[in-house]
Amino acid sequence: MIREEKIQIPFVYAAGQAGSRFLVALRDDGRIMGSACAACGHVSVPTRSFCPACSESDLSDVELAGEGNLVSWTEIPGRGVFALINLDGADGALLHRLIDSPDKLAVGQRVRAQFAETRKAHISDLAGFVVTGAGP
Amino acid sequence: MNRAAIIGTGQTRHARRRDDLSQPELVREACTAALADAGIGQKDIDAVVIANMELFEGRALPELWVGEGAFATGKPCMKIATGGTSGTSGCIAGFHQVASGLFDIVLVVGFEKHSEGHTQTGMALTDPFWDRTVASGALGNFALSISQYMVDRGVTEEQAAKVAVKARRNAARNPYAHLQMPDITEQEVLDSKMLAHPVRMLDMCPQSDGACAIVIAAESKAKKYCDQPAWIRATATRHQQPYIGDIDHRLTSMETLRSAARSVYAAAGIRDPLKELDVAEIYEPVSYAELAWYEALGFCEDGEAGRLIEDGVTEMDGELPVNPSGGVLSTNPVGASGVIRVAEAASQIMGRAGEHQVQGAKTALATGYGVYAWADAMILGTAP
Repeated sequence: MIREEKIQIPFVYAAGQAGSRFLVALRDDGRIMGSACAACGHVSVPTRSFCPACSESDLSDVELAGEGNLVSWTEIPGRGVFALINLDGADGALLHRLIDSPDKLAVGQRVRAQFAETRKAHISDLAGFVVTGAGP
Repeated sequence: MNRAAIIGTGQTRHARRRDDLSQPELVREACTAALADAGIGQKDIDAVVIANMELFEGRALPELWVGEGAFATGKPCMKIATGGTSGTSGCIAGFHQVASGLFDIVLVVGFEKHSEGHTQTGMALTDPFWDRTVASGALGNFALSISQYMVDRGVTEEQAAKVAVKARRNAARNPYAHLQMPDITEQEVLDSKMLAHPVRMLDMCPQSDGACAIVIAAESKAKKYCDQPAWIRATATRHQQPYIGDIDHRLTSMETLRSAARSVYAAAGIRDPLKELDVAEIYEPVSYAELAWYEALGFCEDGEAGRLIEDGVTEMDGELPVNPSGGVLSTNPVGASGVIRVAEAASQIMGRAGEHQVQGAKTALATGYGVYAWADAMILGTAP
């Protein structure tokens, strides 16, 4: 005998102290915030409560440029281009997507953030990144 | 086997909702407190054990997402998920890692954020053929066994209400406890809403958001960092998940907990637990469970649990204070609850339990309980 069931469970998720600061700055001001670690100097994005490089918790928020370099990318037919982007001033990369990407994508290309017109404190408030030129 | 001891504990403030913090931030709050209590830094931690029931939060692989909160980055880290026993099993796993000689210092942290999910649905995802449509989560399946236990042992609703009152009055002396009901009365318990016969609202544990961490150290490190470590003298786990209908007189026999208790008492040389234990932190999800556990743990003869609570034997000023912290009945973040039992027992041994300290506690018992019949037990002492 085979039994079929469908399970639906409601969830809420708390973004927490650091995550909430990132989402609010993104929604209200169209700013991309990161965290600078006083212990090791690592700058991570999005904002964190503890440093991903050294685990210490003495961090301060820093505003990052809306521009950076394409670190790595993949294109999934029908779903678009997913990308890791190293924003200027950050050590870590931000996971997001490219929009209006050119035919020829290349690691190191310059990209710029585009923000959604209506924002709701979600990662999709960043509509995505567009390629603006060849890398350095 | 090498000697091992608990040298520090840390808890979050427990509450119905901790939506001020993300899961990693909640875990970090407990871990930071535990490291401070132990007087060590994150570099001193060799390995991390995380206890959690991830279905309750709806995010797979909690050891991945909250690991950085637990200082686990770049270190050995694993998750223990065994229902209500997750926390005690996590502590015992950490003990095994130190006692084996593999690691000198292991951080164990348990957490749960019930407010983020739907615990009842998670609990109902038991066997889809024989359980799911005829049982009802944690409360229903437990309540099912109480009617038989009451007949077997002559336990009354009034005796259960005394347990519920004792827990909440003890919790009033514990600043971390979730429920703060210092003026609760037995009549209020008896008048509270019926949830699942015979369990009323105030007979039942709450659902809490919270985390708790302990630091386990090998002998040399324990002596270096702690004046009075809580030595882990014995541990036992008894995990069992049979068809419920096959467990003969489930709460009356509670064979897994009896077996775990016999094992740790024998290992620690304890013959009369009521006299030789100074304090116990036991996992009682429902008032009636505490009475059943008194018998399974040998605090009294079978059938004498009601008398034990009526005579005040397990009150703070009784012969064996049970759950000075207020227990699971006052605070229940499931993955953390077993760690809280161990942490509270350890704090008693270390003399760091604050307003709910049992003076001069030298030997303590901590237990875990999960799903139908899983059980863990641990004996802590002032000497190895």
